[in-house]
Amino acid sequence: MNGETDRADGGAVNATDADRADLKLVAFLCNWCSYAGADMAGTSRMLQPSQVRIIRLPCTGRMDPLLVLKAFQEGADGVLVSGCHPGDCHYNDGNYYARRRLELLKRMLAVRGIEPERFQYTWVSASEGARWADVVQAFTTDIESLGRLGATVAGGGGG
Amino acid sequence: MADLVTTIKQTLKDVELVLGWVRDPATGVAAPARFHTEEEAEAAVFDSTCVHNLAVHLPRLKGRRLGIVAKGCDARSVVELIIEHEAEREDLKVIGVGCGSILDVKKIWRRFGYGVEIDDRGDSLELGGERGPREDFLARKCHGCLEADPDIYDLFVGESAGGPAGEISGGREEPHPLSAMLEDLAPAERRAFWREQFSRCIRCYACREVCPMCFCRDICIMQTQVPHWAGGEVNARESEMIQHIRVSHLAGRCTGCGECERACPVGIPLMLLMDEQNRAIEDMFGYRAGDSLRARPPMQTFSIEKDLWGDEE
Repeated sequence: MNGETDRADGGAVNATDADRADLKLVAFLCNWCSYAGADMAGTSRMLQPSQVRIIRLPCTGRMDPLLVLKAFQEGADGVLVSGCHPGDCHYNDGNYYARRRLELLKRMLAVRGIEPERFQYTWVSASEGARWADVVQAFTTDIESLGRLGATVAGGGGG
Repeated sequence: MADLVTTIKQTLKDVELVLGWVRDPATGVAAPARFHTEEEAEAAVFDSTCVHNLAVHLPRLKGRRLGIVAKGCDARSVVELIIEHEAEREDLKVIGVGCGSILDVKKIWRRFGYGVEIDDRGDSLELGGERGPREDFLARKCHGCLEADPDIYDLFVGESAGGPAGEISGGREEPHPLSAMLEDLAPAERRAFWREQFSRCIRCYACREVCPMCFCRDICIMQTQVPHWAGGEVNARESEMIQHIRVSHLAGRCTGCGECERACPVGIPLMLLMDEQNRAIEDMFGYRAGDSLRARPPMQTFSIEKDLWGDEE
């Protein structure tokens, strides 16, 4: 990546390897599909970006938008949510409710100036280890090209 | 306002109290009031300084028989509160008033001096003898007005406004100047803009207290320690967090009455956030809070056929 990062302080800098390693990415995965999919990617020894921290949820229906807001506030540079494909929810309709919330959240994050690439949601089944590896790599590449979110949202206080 | 006074008196035969307005003698503008007796009701007024959304009191008075004087926008809050079971339709007597748009009294006072005489004739405005273009002094809530007449009422007072007051205030289709400004900002600039705005927040929670739809008061998670969503420090970072908790919790509930922004003592443009969210909700679900008593709140349901945003592949 020669990605120029759009820093909150306005200065564009070239992302170094250290910058990339510093990225904090959070992935919320549902227990029944995407977590198992990520597990499968791991046992199949597929390469996954090391900056991603995976948090397991019972269902994407558990995704309170506040979890995402809090992740960004605490310094996440990107948040990925993944669950069962629509129609395949272990609890029948958890991801249908989630989809409404997540899409609205995405639009509201853009209003705050959090680029849509920084918050993504997708569907990965338990058998789609390779798809998970692709999704999480593409997500990470997106954030690498954007760089750190910067102090405006994540860091410091300021009166 | 003989008509209004008579109507309130008539309503009082049936209810315990009526929420309305009186004229504050010190400033000459309207202040919220509760009328319990016919004698008290003599002081009732309605004019273009009746900015307050009195529906905020309904959850606090739930279970009592009430009358409420409501403009078009206030009635939308009443509708939404009934949907959310925070008010019972059969306990309420809604006294509808046709609203010809509301004035931003603070703006007038800043320009012409505190307590300046406001002579509003509907199509023109005289302020301390000086003529002011009326559209320059309209309340923020009137921008994008959906309906100046209440949708639900038991009794109606005065003349019907016959459409949205928004026709006076630039029309619903035209975005507010701040929305247009935000549209032009790059993401990093937007973050800087909001940080600057929220750096002024003093965490007074007036936005929450004045909001008719913020009714879970004693367990508001903006202030709980467990779970600890927001810290107690007063700074832009925490203030932005609590405001977005509020925005998120008002998804599909906010009727755009504008009280949060009006009550904010430090002038944070909260309506900008609410407008953006309301627009997104209308775009995504075709839903506008307060439109109908039979509506299903959009975050409490889903559509398998129509909700296809995540299926780009």
